[in-house]
Amino acid sequence: MVSLAEHWQGLCDRPESLAEWRRYALEADKKTGCFLQFDPLLARDRSAASGSLAGVPFAVKDNIAVEPFRLTCASRFLANLVSPYTATAVRRLQAQGAVVVGKTNLDEFGMGSSTENSAYQKTLNPWNLTRVPGGSSGGSAAAVAAGIVPFALGSDTGGSVRQPAAFCGVYGLKPTYGAVSRYGLVAYASSLEVIGVISKTVAAAGEVFRLMRGQDELDHSSLEYRPAQDPPKKLCVGLPVECLRAVGEPGTQGIPLHPDVQATLEKTAQTLKELGFTLREVSLPSLEYVVSAYFVIACAEASANLARFDGIRYGARAQGADNQEQLVISSRSRGFGDEVKLRILLGTYVLRSGFQDQYYLRAQRIRTAIRRDFERAFSEVQLILMPVYPTPAFKLGGVELDPFAQKLADQFTCSANLAGLPALSFPAAVKNGLPIGLQFLAPPFAEDRLLRACSAFEEVSPSPNPPLYGPWS
Amino acid sequence: MDREELSITALMSRLDLDEEEMERFGGAVSRLLETFCAMMQVEVENLPPTTHALLKDNRLREDRPVEDGAADRLLANAPELEERFIVIPNVL
Repeated sequence: MVSLAEHWQGLCDRPESLAEWRRYALEADKKTGCFLQFDPLLARDRSAASGSLAGVPFAVKDNIAVEPFRLTCASRFLANLVSPYTATAVRRLQAQGAVVVGKTNLDEFGMGSSTENSAYQKTLNPWNLTRVPGGSSGGSAAAVAAGIVPFALGSDTGGSVRQPAAFCGVYGLKPTYGAVSRYGLVAYASSLEVIGVISKTVAAAGEVFRLMRGQDELDHSSLEYRPAQDPPKKLCVGLPVECLRAVGEPGTQGIPLHPDVQATLEKTAQTLKELGFTLREVSLPSLEYVVSAYFVIACAEASANLARFDGIRYGARAQGADNQEQLVISSRSRGFGDEVKLRILLGTYVLRSGFQDQYYLRAQRIRTAIRRDFERAFSEVQLILMPVYPTPAFKLGGVELDPFAQKLADQFTCSANLAGLPALSFPAAVKNGLPIGLQFLAPPFAEDRLLRACSAFEEVSPSPNPPLYGPWS
Repeated sequence: MDREELSITALMSRLDLDEEEMERFGGAVSRLLETFCAMMQVEVENLPPTTHALLKDNRLREDRPVEDGAADRLLANAPELEERFIVIPNVL
């Protein structure tokens, strides 16, 4: 197997190749709008001269701190904020010689599924420029899919690494909660989110994850990484019956499976059998309630986490306020976009005295039911196979899925966040010119199992190249 | 959510909503709260709440000073400074 460093041959250390690559990257960025900041030399001196990723370029979602880039979170509020430090996950990659070449676009503060909630620009899907790249790590997924970088970092709170990876035909690893330090990741929903990897190959996702993971004294929720026990050679994959049933029946939440996703799920199950996996049905009854529980918890945590943005110590300060209270209110009201305001309002409401038991506490109890459902399922199977999203990449502008429907469509991704489980989305097929992604879920700290299963599938069906794909593969 | 509840929630959120926003956010919040009603069907009596999926307890580290210049970089992001003090409107 060729390593990332061999593949990219220290690109950032070879001026001639770097100039040629830079031209390509700028051209691809012009078409897709994946970068908010692009400067391959800005942080060059922060990376080690040697290491297993020496000279390999990578991109970082702009809600992860990288000195001396700005840290905008795609929000007007943080337009001029310069990262005062670098996230631990990024530092660990820089210590191996990898070079941050830019910061990628996202839905403001990670809130959205299309990257259209960015205050700055739209990002277009390299497969079809009339469609979204997914979100919220849409810029990272588009940059990898366009062949600008071999991997990029994103963050996954309810599917924000896996869904854009699926929409763009690349791999998206959401690690076990706590496996990768969140120090330097701007907090949205602290109990759910984790820094993940989007990559062109399974090997790259594994290599980057192994370098980033492990306890960090700067993040008390980070955990010592103890890999789960090796499962038997022949892996048994569970298919939740709740995914196979027609979602969207009266009385059920969620968006019905698009025929292309349904067909891909069936075909992939068949391919896995041919590859030696055994498949059996499992039941996750609480899947029905995950979207509600997820949004209640995520918005509640967001309302608390985003309270820090007051325009006093940093960020865009509204002018002309007579007193401190007015300054805070005006700065927040002008600085935040609509989706952020909506989630703060919702989160504040569900935490209010009198409503807390009805919404927040109930959602946390349902979270326990979800965890137990997975524990039960993983006593029978080693992996679970699910769609990532009920539809392929949808059209820009909410014409196919409006923002409300986009939230309901998180039905397959957010359960991994609620239960803290690792999950890996992989490109399973191309239908009607668009990639379709599926995902494997595994018990905590069983990332190797996910990578093993996806590698086996990659052998027969590697990440497809979009029309925009460049020569830097 | 009625108008009064939304006004109280906006005040607690430190957000100032104009007429058009009151209308728009009121509708969007209500629609999502209706969706959340699905959770009411679940029997949760015997389920303890999960706050973190895998975090078992708090971990503490030694509190020690580090000289890395971060204070200057943080101050450089302040909207208005007088020497090393951040300027805010008059409190009194």
